[in-house]
Amino acid sequence: MINLKINGKEIQAKDGSTILKAALDNGIYIPHLCWDRRLEPYGGCRLCIVEVEGQRRLITSCAAPVEEGMVVWTETPKVVKARKTVLELLLLYHPLDCPICDKAGECELQDLAFKYGPTESRFTAKRKREPERLDSPIVERNPNRCVLCGKCVNLCRDHQGVGALAIIGRGFKAKISPAFEETLDCEFCGQCIDACPVGALGAKPYRHRSRVWYMDEYQIICPYCGCGCTTNISVREGKIIRARGKEAVGINDGNLCSKGRFGFDFLYSEKRLTTPLIRKEGELRPAPWDEALRFIAERLEIIKNTYGPSSIGAIGSQRCTVEDNFMLQRFMREVIGTDNIDSGARFGFARALEALMESSGLDYMPVDWQKPLEKSLLLVIESDITATHPVWGLNFLQAKRRGAYLITADSRQTKLARHSTHWLRLKPGTGVALLNGIANYIIENGLFDKDRVSGIKGFSEWTNHVKRFNLKETSQITGLPETTIEEVARLIASTPKRLIALSSGASENNKSKDHYIASANLLMLLGEEIDNLQLPAEFSNTLGLWLSGVRPLKDGKTLKDMLYKEGSLKALYIMGEDPVTVFPDGSTIERNLKNLELLIVQDIVLTETARLAHVVLPASAWAEKDGTFIGMTGLEQKITKLLPDQGDSTPDWKILRNLARIMGYEIGRDINSVKEDFKKKLSAEGYILEGSRWKKPQRLEPSFRIADLKVKARPEKPQEVYLLTGNVLQHSGVLSYLSKTLDSAVADAVLTINEEDAKRLNIKDDTFVKVTSPKGSVYLKTRVTDEVPEGVAFAPLHFPHARLNTLLTLPSDGEIPLEVIEISKG
Amino acid sequence: MEKRPRITLMLCGGTGCIAGGSLKVKEAFEKELAQKGLTDEINIVLTGCNGFCAEGPIGIVYPDDIFYEKLTPDDAKIIVQEHFIKGRPVERLMYKEPVKKHAIPVMNEIPFFKHQVLRALRNKGLIDPERIEDYIARDGYMAAAKALLEMTPEEIIREVKNSGLRGRGGAGFPTGLKWELCSKVKSELKFILCNGDEGDPGAFMDRSIMEGDPHSVLEGMIIAGKAIGATKGYIYVRAEYPLAVKRLQIAIEQAREKGLLGEDILGSGYSLDIEIYQGAGAFVCGEETALMRSIEGKRGMPRPRPPFPVYKGLWDKPSVLNNVETFANVPPIILHGAEWFRSLGTEKSPGTKVFALTGAINNVGLIEVPMGIPLRTIIYDIGGGIKKGRKFKAVQLGGPSGGCIPEHLLDTPVTYEDIVQTGAIVGSGGMVVMDDLNCMVSVAKFFLEFTTDESCGKCTPCRIGTKVMLDILTDITEGRGKDGDIETLEDLAKDIIAASLCGLGQTAPNPVLTTIKYFRDEYESHIYEKWCKAGVCRSLVTFYIDPSTCTGCGACARVCPQKAISGERKKPHSIDQSLCIKCRQCYETCKFNSVKTGPRDMFKKEEPAEPLEEEVKR
Repeated sequence: MINLKINGKEIQAKDGSTILKAALDNGIYIPHLCWDRRLEPYGGCRLCIVEVEGQRRLITSCAAPVEEGMVVWTETPKVVKARKTVLELLLLYHPLDCPICDKAGECELQDLAFKYGPTESRFTAKRKREPERLDSPIVERNPNRCVLCGKCVNLCRDHQGVGALAIIGRGFKAKISPAFEETLDCEFCGQCIDACPVGALGAKPYRHRSRVWYMDEYQIICPYCGCGCTTNISVREGKIIRARGKEAVGINDGNLCSKGRFGFDFLYSEKRLTTPLIRKEGELRPAPWDEALRFIAERLEIIKNTYGPSSIGAIGSQRCTVEDNFMLQRFMREVIGTDNIDSGARFGFARALEALMESSGLDYMPVDWQKPLEKSLLLVIESDITATHPVWGLNFLQAKRRGAYLITADSRQTKLARHSTHWLRLKPGTGVALLNGIANYIIENGLFDKDRVSGIKGFSEWTNHVKRFNLKETSQITGLPETTIEEVARLIASTPKRLIALSSGASENNKSKDHYIASANLLMLLGEEIDNLQLPAEFSNTLGLWLSGVRPLKDGKTLKDMLYKEGSLKALYIMGEDPVTVFPDGSTIERNLKNLELLIVQDIVLTETARLAHVVLPASAWAEKDGTFIGMTGLEQKITKLLPDQGDSTPDWKILRNLARIMGYEIGRDINSVKEDFKKKLSAEGYILEGSRWKKPQRLEPSFRIADLKVKARPEKPQEVYLLTGNVLQHSGVLSYLSKTLDSAVADAVLTINEEDAKRLNIKDDTFVKVTSPKGSVYLKTRVTDEVPEGVAFAPLHFPHARLNTLLTLPSDGEIPLEVIEISKG
Repeated sequence: MEKRPRITLMLCGGTGCIAGGSLKVKEAFEKELAQKGLTDEINIVLTGCNGFCAEGPIGIVYPDDIFYEKLTPDDAKIIVQEHFIKGRPVERLMYKEPVKKHAIPVMNEIPFFKHQVLRALRNKGLIDPERIEDYIARDGYMAAAKALLEMTPEEIIREVKNSGLRGRGGAGFPTGLKWELCSKVKSELKFILCNGDEGDPGAFMDRSIMEGDPHSVLEGMIIAGKAIGATKGYIYVRAEYPLAVKRLQIAIEQAREKGLLGEDILGSGYSLDIEIYQGAGAFVCGEETALMRSIEGKRGMPRPRPPFPVYKGLWDKPSVLNNVETFANVPPIILHGAEWFRSLGTEKSPGTKVFALTGAINNVGLIEVPMGIPLRTIIYDIGGGIKKGRKFKAVQLGGPSGGCIPEHLLDTPVTYEDIVQTGAIVGSGGMVVMDDLNCMVSVAKFFLEFTTDESCGKCTPCRIGTKVMLDILTDITEGRGKDGDIETLEDLAKDIIAASLCGLGQTAPNPVLTTIKYFRDEYESHIYEKWCKAGVCRSLVTFYIDPSTCTGCGACARVCPQKAISGERKKPHSIDQSLCIKCRQCYETCKFNSVKTGPRDMFKKEEPAEPLEEEVKR
């Protein structure tokens, strides 16, 4: 620790800290405009200058390292005068836009002028007349207000790894703009907007909608991905006007992605359900709650008595709260008396957990948010972390900036791949082979601690199995050069502190259970603890849903039986899920659902699945109800009712309580009792709540398991390629498409095709093509690029209207779900 | 045995002389010698800049040291015939002393050269810069060999520290101290960098060294590299110096060939390779930290210091950046010692300095003089006094970062410590002499225009502050100056200096401050009297002819492009103000000081006063 004095106060600071940081940490405010905790000190605004005894010049406190015995003064006449002049100069060319500027009231320049600035200017100047730029989605730019603090540029380039904005021109003519002053085209994460201290950058949905002082600000957890970021939402008269990140708030420390920032307006989609609907004479008609619930209760009783409880099933939601899901499984188990309950987590998360159980004996292993920053080597296998979990993905980028090796194995050029120290462009799905090949190389060259590892169960059987994955064979399967595999294997073997991350959701169809097992095998070989395998749960409450017990615990039917086996069920209760447009082989699902005697759908909008239902129940959405999310880190976080109900919509858990009551059961009195019951259940299962984090002490039973490469089919005909599905950064699952704001950035399931394939198939950019699989065909718009390799096409699954899921076949166990498609002119 | 040439003709191949036709002169000589069959006996070498640029193209005949000037291709025949064959040097082509006009044949007796001491420019005019053998023949790379094979890094640093060598780029920071600080930092990678950006308008000291003696820079970098433990070197050359880039590249390749760069130099165990990086037209990239960002491929914007580049420089590794001239000074220090270096100059400013002498002076060119030499000596003895016999007004030192020094301070010795007392700085060596035809307010405005244009834009005081100062100066020179402007300029200048991030902003106000300090009356006459006495600011001057001294010679009328001057022969002439475009030709031409300047409104009639309301009503 370094001892120094600021304004006469003795303080201590860490070695390597700066004067500004030391001051702020000790409650001493030094004005600053261009400093951000996430960035290297810039030193451009000149407001943080201070006097340091013994130094002739004024010192830039945001950049100067603290030194033992330093004596700093922040309010001497010299400092005050220089600072006043700097503000005078900034204000001189800053337009007097306050009356029409959205930043008024929370503008740092206003605050600084108020506190430190001159009350008069000695100068007059001609105001700048740059045109305001409203031509890009979501982000509006007003260059005249810009004070050139550089935060947007530096954040976008260094922190986000994008670099969509830069300072162009020099001196007085310098301004911040995209390249060649073209329309801004970027990730639309909005980090620049939150960072801008003045009104030079703004969010178009927020433009001229409210003055700051009319809004109330609340904290809430984002409903989208498993990160569990805290957003600060501003509410006016019961409507969310905007969402922002705030420094030091939440696990995300104020960082947000485009979904967290701009995706909240899904709440205001016209498609929102406001009243229960019952099918009468073939059409869904509005009905009051008690009629709808009675209808359901009666029908369920009949079906239960006629066919037995096992003819009834339920599907829960990875986006509904713990309370919602907990009540659903209570309803099914106690009121109906069946174990037939499952969710979309079956396709992804369940598979990852199965692998985890087989490899380690653990059934619960949340992600450690900070872990990537503590590692020297990060290996990401066929997962686009920067799109599935954008804010957590920033940790990977930051780790790499600090000197860690970032090795990405992905056939597609994702943002993560672009920033990696090693991008292994392997053939899709072959990650298993790569992992086996690396493991084999390490074993054959003795680059591991044999004494420590050879005693683990299954070791010899496994080493025999991976023998086949020598360099030549591995190179042949993955398409990577032998030298590359060797180089990476040596690097992994010799670099301590490693981590392997794989997305656990099903939206990316390039992995099978074997990917996770092979990753676990490699970690064990290297002597790393199993918790260095990071498997981020996909959505905001995937982990919460799992812990609530929304899955068969005994001999109940899984999703695969309930939705795909004809005649498996007579009645199905679907909560917060849209199987027809989300799950593979939508046509089969639709067919089976149509044959149900009773289909109940409880959701926030009228989905395609809801259209087939006998009864549709309007559910409250996020921020319209209280509840709990458990995100991928095992952190239990709250959402609160901040908005009024839309129409007659009701929280899911409440609907189930009321339905149960009609059927003669009390499964939960109020939200607190439901929460208590949930906590009791978890405790009984051995989970412990440490602070806000759920942990589970378990016995580690490591075991090497055989992991093999099983692909359904390969492209054979010239017009066949692999269809890779996944995420685009601006969307998450099938909720974000309801957001008009996110839609304005990315609205379509575009098929990304390789340039060579396009040439061969005579297909042009930005045209419609017919995409056919064994299950059906759809029409998609093309984007010809080299981001995908030859023989691979990519499309995201976020857009129901594209019906992409109808092309996908239901994967069988252990198979990599890659689909083979034919592309032909539309 | 190879026949050695009996005569060597060193033709100046510096940019100025090449522009004057020295390459054609060379061709003519080669043709003539071939014709006469003398190619084996007489050697022609194209050297770097000779320095006496006002008199180019220049050629010097060795071993006699005969100096020929203003050569044309036709002169080749005569010189070959008369001097080389008949042994009779051609007086017509020699330098003529300005007053009595007698010829001075020997170069080192010409006043321009007599007062110079060549250390950084030790090989000036004596070598072919594209032949490493020439450099080696004049003790080249001997210092590097000594440093690499016989000295430890500590010993090298001690020698340079004791010599008192200060950075020649302008800041004057003790070179040895900079090396010492960097040498103490532990790092696997360290960089030795040479600043060849030379952005000051009109300065060409570094260019002449890079073009004329590139190996001296390389040798200095090798010695510095060993001292700090550098693993790689870069020379940052502005792209506007293509010849310098070419000569340096040739020099690097030749040095590599001879094992003087690369792995295990001279078997010493020390390895260093040097690469050239070209600038892209930004003055600010001559700033240390901006230069490093530029090499990193980033936008050239400076960084706050501390932390200093010796700790965190290029790619955040410890780096030492020195100026071209600084490096050129290093080999002789190693060879001859600190005491030798200190034998010239002063205690605090030892050694010599290269200056680019330009402006309203007779002998325009490149000089190297011992520190401590009075300004007066440079301007009058070396520079030959003011052109066309006009009166000295001021000399500007240090380019856009520097300041003006007036007549009464001309006895100031040229040292870092003395010049800074005047308010100016020694700077990188640009010296612009001004006469009574210069308007000091305009001069200040010129330099400020440069710095505002070159400002990178990162920090507020420089980006906006210098522009505000420029706007005020523009107003003053265009007749919109008002009471309080001078005080505002001074006050704003102080804050810009205090708050700016880098040297550009911190020194941009200097020309304004020094011109206010010494020529405040000019500012005042611009503001209050609306009168530019030097006749430069066109909207603030009236040219008129004083009838009491006009001889009616008509010289002014002849040069007037507007035919605005009329008058009978031998009778006082007059200027028609309605035709006058203020080009100032008459003022510069008149030998009798009869054309004078007056304030803008000199001949403006009084406007009739606005009638009072009562009067109108009546």
